[in-house]
This record gives sequence, structure tokens and C-alpha cells, in this order.
Amino acid sequence: MIVNEWCMYCGECAGVCPRNLILLKETDLVFDDFRCNECDICIRVCPVSALKK
Amino acid sequence: MIETDILVVGAGPVGSIAAKHAALGGADVILIDKKSEIGSPKRCAEGASKEGLKFLGIEPQPIWAINEIKGIRLVAPDGTDVWLNDEIKLPEAGYILERKIFDKHIAMDAGRAGAEIKVKTLAKSLKKEEDSYIVSCESMGEEFEIRAKILIGADGSESHIGRWAGLKTGIKPKDMESGAQFEMCNVKMEDYSVLEFYFGSVAPGGYVWIFPKGEDIANVGLGVIQSKTDRSAYDYLVDFVRTCPATKNAKIVELNVGGVPVGGMIKDLSDDNILIVGDAASQVIPLTGGGIVSGMTCGMFAGEVAAKSIKSGDHSKKQLSEYNKRCKDLLDDKMKKHLKVRNYLESLSDEELNSVATAFQDVKFEEISTTELIKKLVKVSPKALLKLGKLF
Repeated sequence: MIVNEWCMYCGECAGVCPRNLILLKETDLVFDDFRCNECDICIRVCPVSALKK
Repeated sequence: MIETDILVVGAGPVGSIAAKHAALGGADVILIDKKSEIGSPKRCAEGASKEGLKFLGIEPQPIWAINEIKGIRLVAPDGTDVWLNDEIKLPEAGYILERKIFDKHIAMDAGRAGAEIKVKTLAKSLKKEEDSYIVSCESMGEEFEIRAKILIGADGSESHIGRWAGLKTGIKPKDMESGAQFEMCNVKMEDYSVLEFYFGSVAPGGYVWIFPKGEDIANVGLGVIQSKTDRSAYDYLVDFVRTCPATKNAKIVELNVGGVPVGGMIKDLSDDNILIVGDAASQVIPLTGGGIVSGMTCGMFAGEVAAKSIKSGDHSKKQLSEYNKRCKDLLDDKMKKHLKVRNYLESLSDEELNSVATAFQDVKFEEISTTELIKKLVKVSPKALLKLGKLF
């Protein structure tokens, strides 16, 4: 997952990830890409469109 | 390893008030937050009711209760507006808060009650071991563990604590309102003691708010349900502020974004040695998206029940179920009603919303409250009567 620099680390993506694979830090998002099944829900909910594959 | 009776993860106002009441109940409490500054950045329109703050025993202070609200203005897609102010009773009146100060104030209350506070401390994982949880943390490059007899997850809508513990706190996209907000100056409001709400296609699945913080200062924001649109909340907000007469010449001084769980409170709020509170438990009123008072009230319950559990030496799900009961007694009925109203409002087209606003012009409101609005809605709209008549 590519996290664009305008990500605001609000964590909405982490809240909706059905597998709980996104760890939100203060200024970082850590994705467990290995277990991700690419449902793309995190990309769709981002309020500032900061995520892309 | 650090040992404590109660570990609260998340120092928003819900986590902090839980920590405060747990400490007041005689327990050893640690409150951690991943952020370096409690209360910042805000993810909130900052409205809170007077009655709610009073119930929580919080005396409003001018430094954080920065504007008193005396009415509301509802605006339909065609601009038809409904004013509810002046000579109407105000059971749900309140304040606009300065969350950056308020959140710290509540955390300081927790600290003064005896809770230890650790900022810039991230909970990375947890494991259950006998009658406790061990939480792996990271702070300023150091990794360590905290063992707690009771864990309180107050870690927001992105909650990991609940899901790591096996509770169903994950939020479906249809139940997550995606929010974006500007704090702006030079906002042209007719009355800065009035909250403004704009409905319809300006914010699919949600609404736009203008919450005044001062004479020309306001939080201007909106929430959308992302499954109803391909555009982001931010894009909708930019469009709105460019075209709304109140904001088209306003200047942005802050951008806030974040998700609001509006699907209703989760079913299981606790298990052996663990309680979930606030946005992490979806303790947000579905119709309004407001969660400060509802979350903090449940946070207070969590702190009290957890402290009682520590005293009794019984940290089981059964012992902690008092927390579930108190939260459900407080919120279940309200949540169910508000969810139905929310679903109904989401089903209305812009034309139908315009008709409702037009019909409201001749309605005499007796008080400003969500219940009163819905009661009047049922009277002016046959469709509303059909869908909501039995609720109110």
C-alpha cells in the first residue's frame, strides 16, 4: 500500500479494515501487506484519498 | 514488566474520564496514548450538551467551553431554512468546546485523581495470561510490557484493543461516516449562537455542519457514508465551502478528518478482564454523530465498574457485565430510534427534504431537541409517519 504524504493519520482505514491489518501510529500507518486480501475498503473510505495500491 | 490494576488505552475524553473514575475508586491506573499531545489533532465538531456535562460532574470553564449555543438552523437543499431559537425551550442546549484544551483538562483530572499518564506510548499487541492482559507497548524507541488486571480499550474508531481481544469492534464501511472539517475564520453567520445543519446531496448519507466557535469563527464540516459515493469527504467539503454564502469568503486555519462510527453501539462491550468504551464501542448517537457526552458517560461507568471489580478481586465477564447493563440502559433505546430515523433521512431525495423544510415553516416548535424534531417531522410527512410513527 502506498500512503501519500497528505495522509492525516486519522485511522479511518484502520477502523474499517475487516482483518484489522492496519496499525495506526501518531504519524505512520503500518500495513500487514502479507495478510491483506486487497478488498480496497481502506482506499475507498479515506476522507482525503491518501491511499493507493 | 510494569504491573497495574487497570490500563486504559487512549486518552481522549472517554479514556481519561474512565481513568479518573477508576483511580477515584481506589485502583492503580495507567493511561496511555499514542499521541505526543493529548487533544490534538481533533476529530470532532466540538459540540456537547450542558445536561451531559452536568451529569458527568464537569463544570464548564470559559477556557474550553468557548461558545454557548442557543438554537439551531436546518437548511434544505434548495436553501429553505428552519430556525429553532429564541422563545423555544432548550433541553439539548450546550457549548462548543475547544477540544485541544478540554481533552487535556479531563486527562489532568485523571492525573490528579491518581492515574499515571504516558503520552507517545503505542499499544502494539496484547495477550491474555491467566487473570490479566499483557500489553506490548512502544514509547520513544523503547519497548516494554504492561500487565493489567483490567484493560479498558478507549482507542477510538480505529480500535485495535477490542479486536485483538476477540470482541467484535470492527466497523463496516456502511456504518462509518467519513468526516472532513475546516476550522475557518471570516465565516458569515447570521447568529453565532446557532448551530447550522445542511442536508441532502451536499453530503450523501450525512450532513454538513457549521458549529460557531466565535463571532466569525466556526468548524465547518461534513460526514458522508463512503459506500454512497465515489468522492471523498474532503472533496465534498471543498465544494460546499466554495459555494455556501456563509463560507465562500472564509479562510481555513485547520483541516481535520476522521471516521465516526454511526451504526449503533456494539453488542458485547466487555469480556473477562476487558471493557471497550467510546468510539471503539461505537457509543456515538447515530443520527447526529455526536459522541462526546454519550462516550464519556459510558467511560465513567467503565471506570467505576472496573474499580469495583478490582476491589472485589473478580475481573470476570460476569462481574464486568454491570458496565454493559448501565450502557445499554442509557443508550440502547435511543440508539435504536436514532438508527431508524437516520435510515429514513438517508432515503429522502433533495426534493423530499425541500418539501419537509417547506412544511416546517408553519410548524410551532415547543423545544429544541431531536425528539421534538422527529415528532414534528412525523406530523408533516406521511412517509415519515409510515416509517417512524410508532417510534415517537
